[in-house]
Amino acid sequence: MFANFRQAMAWVHTWFGLVLGFVLMAAFFFGSLSVFDREIDRWAVPETRFPAQPMPSFDQVLWPVYQQLRAHPLDMAATARRVEGEIPHPDTLPLVSLYAYTTHRDPVLQIGGEFAIPNKPLDASDDHQHVHGWASIDPRSGTYLSQDKLQIGSEFFYPMHYSLHFHWQDLGYWIVALAGLVMLVALVSGVVMHRKLFRELFTFRPHKRTQRSVLDLHNLTGVVALPFHFFFAFTGLVIFAGIYFPLGETMLEPLAKQHQVLEAERTGLPHEPAGEAAPMASVDAMVVEAKRRWDLRGMPGEVGYLFMDHLGDANGYVSIYRAGNDQVALVGQGVHFKASTGEVLREDPPPTPVFAINEFLTGLHLQHFKHWLLRWLYVFGGLAGCVCIATGFVFFVEKRKKQLAGHSARLIRWVDALAVTTVTGMVVATLAILVANRLLPADLPARGLWEERIFWYSWLVMLAHALWRSKAVASGLISPAWREQSWLVVLLAVSAVLFNWIGTGDHLVKTLNDGYWPVAGVDLFLLACALVAACAAKILRRREGLQQPLSPRNSGLQDNLEVARG
Amino acid sequence: MGDVVLLLLAALSCHSGAVWLALAIRAHWRQVTGESAPDAATVRMLRILGAAALLVGLVLCLWADAPSMAVLVWIMYLALFAFITAFTLAWRPQVLKLWLPGFRPRSPLS
Amino acid sequence: MEPTALGIALRTLASLLGGYAFLWGASSLGIAGLVALGMAYEEARTLCMLLAFLLYLIIFLWVWATHHFVRACVILVAGAGLFSAMAVVLQQQLTAGV
Repeated sequence: MFANFRQAMAWVHTWFGLVLGFVLMAAFFFGSLSVFDREIDRWAVPETRFPAQPMPSFDQVLWPVYQQLRAHPLDMAATARRVEGEIPHPDTLPLVSLYAYTTHRDPVLQIGGEFAIPNKPLDASDDHQHVHGWASIDPRSGTYLSQDKLQIGSEFFYPMHYSLHFHWQDLGYWIVALAGLVMLVALVSGVVMHRKLFRELFTFRPHKRTQRSVLDLHNLTGVVALPFHFFFAFTGLVIFAGIYFPLGETMLEPLAKQHQVLEAERTGLPHEPAGEAAPMASVDAMVVEAKRRWDLRGMPGEVGYLFMDHLGDANGYVSIYRAGNDQVALVGQGVHFKASTGEVLREDPPPTPVFAINEFLTGLHLQHFKHWLLRWLYVFGGLAGCVCIATGFVFFVEKRKKQLAGHSARLIRWVDALAVTTVTGMVVATLAILVANRLLPADLPARGLWEERIFWYSWLVMLAHALWRSKAVASGLISPAWREQSWLVVLLAVSAVLFNWIGTGDHLVKTLNDGYWPVAGVDLFLLACALVAACAAKILRRREGLQQPLSPRNSGLQDNLEVARG
Repeated sequence: MGDVVLLLLAALSCHSGAVWLALAIRAHWRQVTGESAPDAATVRMLRILGAAALLVGLVLCLWADAPSMAVLVWIMYLALFAFITAFTLAWRPQVLKLWLPGFRPRSPLS
Repeated sequence: MEPTALGIALRTLASLLGGYAFLWGASSLGIAGLVALGMAYEEARTLCMLLAFLLYLIIFLWVWATHHFVRACVILVAGAGLFSAMAVVLQQQLTAGV
């Protein structure tokens, strides 16, 4: 179909990159924000603006907290669709397993658990007889954080970057996976297309015509951060491999089941409950023992992840994992105890090479380690990815602006409008949810849902605006939507900072003075964003002023001039 | 706090490495010095210096953090400083003369 | 040569769905094979998944670049069927008697 390899790669790069680029933009942009998801959470939920806490005492604080945990309405609804009959009231469902997870950046603790249900599944092979409950708690007092409060960083931006909040049939995950694969394809095909990878590694010529300088920027941001782009797209796919290739739940289920039994025998951690009730020994004492063992290994640490299975059963066990502040892997060095007696059942050996590689790859993407410099470098990498994708769109449009006629003019208008929507429009929507977060009444029922709606609606309005203003593109001009939305970004970013000040009293002088970086950092970032957008808007204004609408005569002239300029 | 110093030194080293490697490219040499092209010995020298500086940067990263983390920091440093170097070349190329101490432009006749 | 709409549609299908089906079979066989060789199931799965996505990238590019499109399709479909069947047979032997 194609004359040669390079042509095939160019076609794939252009068209797959264009179509999936819009999704990739969201993945990269919200991924970059997710680097500081916990900090954005603090900004969005002011009652959680206190220092990070260690895992609290299980016996004193957590155990009473778990007594109040109930199955989440969302999972009740989801489970009701795949079982027979009505699920009993959440108050009557017994908690059978539980977890708690924290990192060095978490003031609030994420907890959750599984509740057993008596209902038969509709699909006989479905052996998941549980509903899930989850919540965030204040580990100092054990009080629950209202589920109406949306932790915008970790509950909205973070899932946005891998699921697009499109949960029907998990379709969002699949679309992002396709985009991830296309990112890898675009990187390889881009390298093939780029004839002077090393000679032009440092090349950026902003003073040349738009098409040239945009391509320079596209190549620069793509090539210098190539390892970052490659490994983040690749590890993103690896992290959700279980969703994309559900072999163990389908074709290889017998083998996976056999493995579970063998694994339980090998590790001594029971896979099934014994069916007889048993009391629970002190978990705090188990934590002390786990910490003692980490000390002995020369790697003292805090508890990152706590898991208990078969609660109240004689086969119950407790797993305690060390927080991975100082390593790329999330958690590790698990020590497992018999719940009824507190005796050590097993201490995890160092991971095998395969698991170590996997932990490194997933850990480098999920980044729960303590390394602020690397975090900021990741933001740079992520934003470089955004610039790379955005300049790809602009190049696509610029290259075709001159051969505009009927059919292709419509395509160009759409591509340009979608580019506006996924660049400035996405920033506007992101800022809109933050402003909404500060302006909606504190006790509004389903407050988080309203914040999400405002995000989606403002994004939709930006799309409509971009399409409405795209007529200029058909005459070879810059769409004014770019500039107008940039000004909107300035307005919203500054208001978000102001409303945070008015609503919470935590203005920049105070937060900087207290060294409270989560809120100071978000505010500073918002102001920086406003500054960049203002500069962009001014440059766009100047460029719009320089341009002449395209007519056959002066387009020829323009070409000649460009040739003359080299 | 020692880590901060090491990571700063690593940054400086990686930045220098990127600049020297860029200067070994004819177009950038011209941007910075105004001369048409560096001679072969200079190119070799710049490449060796550049590679060595990047290597020193890696060693400093390894000194500051656990190896798995250090590699990540180093790779991101390379990206960042290549990017910064490209932008400096685009707008303030003469700043990069700092990395050519003792450089004297050849007379136009030679 | 301008690519035709039909050609594009067929290659899109082959590269995405064909590649997926092929990797489904290949990973299954890989996992079953490694388990047969004594590796733990979870470890075998992890290893095969790491390789699967890299292989997906290569298959995708190959389908678009090759001059022998029909042959590529045959390889992908036959590979998917054959590897899956082999994985199932191997699995039956591994889990027999449990």
